[in-house]
Amino acid sequence: MHQKTPEIYSVELSGTKDIVKTDKGDGKEKYRGLKNNCLELKKKNHKEEFQKELHLDDHKLSNRELEEKYGTDIIMGLSSTRAAELLARDGPNSLTPPKQTPEIVKFLKQMVGGFSILLWVGAFLCWIAYGIQYSSDKSASLNNVYLGCVLGLVVILTGIFAYYQEAKSTNIMSSFNKMIPQQALVIRDSEKKTIPSEQLVVGDIVEVKGGDQIPADIRVLSSQGCRVDNSSLTGESEPQPRSSEFTHENPLETKNICFYSTTCLEVSTSPVGTVTGMVINTGDRTIIGHIASLASGVGNEKTPIAIEIEHFVHIVAGVAVSIGILFFIIAVSLKYRVLDSIIFLIGIIVANVPEGLLATVTVTLSLTAKRMAKKNCLVKNLEAVETLGSTSIICSDKTGTLTQNRMTVAHLWFDNQIFVADTSEDHSNQVFDQSSRTWASLSKIITLCNRVEFKPGQENVPIMKKAVIGDASETALLKFSEVILGDVMEIRKRNRKVAEIPFNSTNKFQLSIHETDDPHDKRLLMVMKGAPERILEKCSTIMINGEEHPLDKSTAKTFHTAYMELGGLGERVLGFCHLYLPADEFPETYSFDIDAMNFPTSSLCFVGLLSMLDPPRSTVPDAVTKCRSAGIKVIMVTGDHPITAKAIAKSVGIISANSETVEDIAHRLNIAVEQVNKQDAKAAVVTGMELKDMSSEQLDEILANYQEIVFARTSPQQKLIIVEGCQRQDAVVAVTGDGVNDSPALKKADIGIAMGIAGSDAAKNAADMVLLDDNFASIITGVEEGRLIFDNLKKTIAYTLTKNIAELCPFLIYIIVGLPLPIGTITILFIDLGTDIIPSIALAYEKAESDIMNRKPRHKKKDRLVNQPLAVYSYLHIGLMQALGAFLVYFTVYAQEGFLPCTLMNLRVEWEKDYVNDLEDSYGQEWTKYQREYLEWTGYTAFFVGILVQQIADLIIRKTRRNSIFQQGLFRNKVIWVGIASQIIIGLILSYGLGSVTALSFTMLRAQYWFVAVPHAILIWVYDEVRKLFIRLYPGSWWDKNMYY
Amino acid sequence: MTKNEKKSLNQSLAEWKLFIYNPTTGEFLGRTAKSWGLILLFYLVFYGFLAALFSFTMWVMLQTLNDEVPKYRDQIPSPGLMVFPKPVTALEYTFSRSDPTSYAGYIEDLKKFLKPYTLEEQKNLTVCPDGALFEQKGPVYVACQFPVSLLQACSGMNDPDFGYSQGNPCILVKMNRIIGLKPEGVPRIDCVSKVGYLQPLVAVQVSFAPNNTGKEVTIECKIDGSANLKSQDDRDKFLGRVMFKITARA
Repeated sequence: MHQKTPEIYSVELSGTKDIVKTDKGDGKEKYRGLKNNCLELKKKNHKEEFQKELHLDDHKLSNRELEEKYGTDIIMGLSSTRAAELLARDGPNSLTPPKQTPEIVKFLKQMVGGFSILLWVGAFLCWIAYGIQYSSDKSASLNNVYLGCVLGLVVILTGIFAYYQEAKSTNIMSSFNKMIPQQALVIRDSEKKTIPSEQLVVGDIVEVKGGDQIPADIRVLSSQGCRVDNSSLTGESEPQPRSSEFTHENPLETKNICFYSTTCLEVSTSPVGTVTGMVINTGDRTIIGHIASLASGVGNEKTPIAIEIEHFVHIVAGVAVSIGILFFIIAVSLKYRVLDSIIFLIGIIVANVPEGLLATVTVTLSLTAKRMAKKNCLVKNLEAVETLGSTSIICSDKTGTLTQNRMTVAHLWFDNQIFVADTSEDHSNQVFDQSSRTWASLSKIITLCNRVEFKPGQENVPIMKKAVIGDASETALLKFSEVILGDVMEIRKRNRKVAEIPFNSTNKFQLSIHETDDPHDKRLLMVMKGAPERILEKCSTIMINGEEHPLDKSTAKTFHTAYMELGGLGERVLGFCHLYLPADEFPETYSFDIDAMNFPTSSLCFVGLLSMLDPPRSTVPDAVTKCRSAGIKVIMVTGDHPITAKAIAKSVGIISANSETVEDIAHRLNIAVEQVNKQDAKAAVVTGMELKDMSSEQLDEILANYQEIVFARTSPQQKLIIVEGCQRQDAVVAVTGDGVNDSPALKKADIGIAMGIAGSDAAKNAADMVLLDDNFASIITGVEEGRLIFDNLKKTIAYTLTKNIAELCPFLIYIIVGLPLPIGTITILFIDLGTDIIPSIALAYEKAESDIMNRKPRHKKKDRLVNQPLAVYSYLHIGLMQALGAFLVYFTVYAQEGFLPCTLMNLRVEWEKDYVNDLEDSYGQEWTKYQREYLEWTGYTAFFVGILVQQIADLIIRKTRRNSIFQQGLFRNKVIWVGIASQIIIGLILSYGLGSVTALSFTMLRAQYWFVAVPHAILIWVYDEVRKLFIRLYPGSWWDKNMYY
Repeated sequence: MTKNEKKSLNQSLAEWKLFIYNPTTGEFLGRTAKSWGLILLFYLVFYGFLAALFSFTMWVMLQTLNDEVPKYRDQIPSPGLMVFPKPVTALEYTFSRSDPTSYAGYIEDLKKFLKPYTLEEQKNLTVCPDGALFEQKGPVYVACQFPVSLLQACSGMNDPDFGYSQGNPCILVKMNRIIGLKPEGVPRIDCVSKVGYLQPLVAVQVSFAPNNTGKEVTIECKIDGSANLKSQDDRDKFLGRVMFKITARA
């Protein structure tokens, strides 16, 4: 099961060549990203280094040749002067951090993004209008200047607010970026020195102890029991041994190169595993550095919600500009002065632009981000909050995301039977039959033939969480036996160890000899574990039900079947055997010589097999099922071996129990793979090797045709290609990963999800979201929140857009019919930025209407945030009803003060003349200019109150889009009521508190005018209930299509 | 690059054409004729309903009103003052004594303004007691007589030129009408100016001395003697007062 596939990484190593070739050939889009990447490298003059990297052959060189190449000495090290020169030439040994957008650019983007441009235009028009006025009349009123300033202020304040929100959410992340400076033990001037690893240069001789990070790419010169954890680079959970031997052509597979940022594992044996090596690459020129630069070369895609908001801004701005220009033309042709027409234009723009909306969206997103952070999803980029909701494909890494990233005993085989061990996070439920006497023997071997121990001082820590120094498989066995048998240390004490041979790669077994805990049994017990086939070779008998039976062909066959079966599950299998040494030959005083092996190591008794794997997290299968029902395809993309990958995929449900791959079908029917009808297979396991030879069309075909896909043994570039392939299917792709090797794909994905605990800094930097508990199931929370926020944003936008019509109509009527202006620009701003803000945020707290996890993810191009029915229903239905209601309040106020509606028609010109101070109303009363102005402000306040009252109804109806409000519960979302209260209180303060401040043009309104629009508000509610009722009654009907937004 | 753009331009043009009229589905602007019919019918009904509703609510609202007396008068608690003849732009009168055309407009305006005050027009009106408020309960309301002769020299009865030809122009000062206004005390209008003037109740006759011709005269008139008729408001320059300028040339 350990057959390595040698050329797997060759894509990475001969990457540039391949890419250039392919590009010349067909110029396919497939490699476009990579090509750009190459170009970028060229630009940066990195090309040479890249080429050198391609021909990395240091692993093939002898020590002498290495010394020559790097001008160093293995014993004495570099001289400090030479090191200083090299440091000056190559720069520090650290990764160049990804380029940050300067803060000022971010800030300015907020100032000109969205509606800001439109409002700036409005502000400039104000100032131009004043300029025109001033040139003809030096005493022109400063009103327009003030209005321009207010508009500018609105843009600046909302910009600062959005910038602050963004900055706050980014700051959460900056804590991750702080890296602890590392130290490296280096030999320079024949002395061992500890220096910051940033100062390492090529040719330095470094020593790395177990537990340390490898400080640069190093060629191993000598090592002692060193193993490295390459999982962040390749995705392999198993520790990889490192020695000075050249074992493989491929620098990534050979044993004598250690890579920057991987870890040298702690080993309990003394002397501590150490490795001495020569630095061959530093900083950005290391393998990790290349992958990191690959990530920074990948452009950041626009998030789906950003695209939606842009789309929405375009719609609203389009409406505003076209209505503005239309009425500008109408005004000019109605013989209005150009100056007045400009002022109308400003009014129309202000009325049409929902000034507060983008700030509201930001707040809503950050509220959701906070909610998600509580559920362990930390969102780096606010807009990514929604992205998970529209995700249609999740490309998940295996190690650490789907699995627990620790070896665990999964199966046992004894008495010719396979038993399943509990691999859940706490191991609590071991149900296999423990009554057999074979198990008693096996458990003794597991306990005794093991060298690792728990770190001291962890008495209160649950067993599975206790820290252990040592090898992953030994740790797994220790914890397994501790859970089942209790205090392992005590058992070991009772069975005193007499002699032992530790595991080494030549023997492939581990052996120890113990006294037994039975005081009457003077025999010594020899226990042994190791590679199953090597153990079996040494045995002549096999224990079945506690009895020793001779090992014949048939028992050997059952052993092989079991071994193959467990191996086929992608598990690492160990064999266990023992032998009671005869007491007369080996008395207690016998001196064992482990070098001479003066004791029998054959004709032993085979006891059983035990297999281990990195088990899936217990929450993952459920999460995968939920993804399925939510219409999300889960694809596994891993650097690990296909067998292991497939086994894990099966156990978590990425490949469901009843689906087969083409190979499975071929195996079952006993035919060649080519003969299988590909339509029959639901699942596919594709290796990096196969992927290398595929065209992008073939990849597309696989992605489109198979529901369940596993990509194994993939390189970082291939992950990128897979993500691009998914994106070509119009899918919104989420990528999860923790390793450095994942970072380019994380960046390329629509949403990159990094693991918070196991994740490397590179991965966290490239990601948009960090799962703090490394739990795949947390993604489900994210999907749910993302979908909810999309629905709720729809509601917020519908709510906000509605009143725009009620704000716009007054201007249109004013221009065409010549009524005294019903609502002022400043008043509109008080609605948009005052009374409406809290209610629109409150909609973000609305619960989902139906099970949002049971519907398909939205289609990126079809299911828009703001669609035609939403705009039409908000503008032409509810908006218009609101306008009528507000006009009713306005007309009531004017009529009860003496101006009947018919008198108001075409009154505008006389009304606004400064020197007409005896304008007659319908009763013949005469009004001075200022009295009329005050009445006009009362009209503004009335219109404002009219809109406000109906916006309360609008807020309530927007709680749901399909269900009745009574199904949803009127009082379930308490924040809505806070919003309504805020609306009323702000309205009261404006009218009664600030009614005397003339600049705000509010007046104290009679209490009864607050109730004039109430019938209209009720009508809005009833109308919307009817709309929803018909939508529920006749799904798919004409009504549903035109009225459901 | 440009080739691509051209192509995409052509494509988008074609897409637009298809959007405007799609011959295969018979869709016009994204809807079939039937769909358009339905949607127009819907809006016809819907907007018809809204219009009817709005008319009804407006009608209900108008029912709350009284035909004679406005419901509220809080926005005009105190009357403004206004002058006649009505100035065209600002409150400035310029005329030349020797040029009748320069003041013909003013005289026309004054005549028009005083026409309802002639004896003939007022003969059906009631004679009201002097010096006391004349309160009526309705339902039939009558108006008091205002003998134009009270305006003396500015009544136009004796001098059809209202003094303009002599260089002593008449300006009528009028208090804005407010229904139900009950002044407290004995209100009167005081006018102040640097030149001499006659002082009838509602008419100002400015007499320009011959040496004063060509000079601008500023006159401010104010309501005085009544506690509830305000004549001092920072913002409203016409509340209970009026200020105007007269320039008479030879």
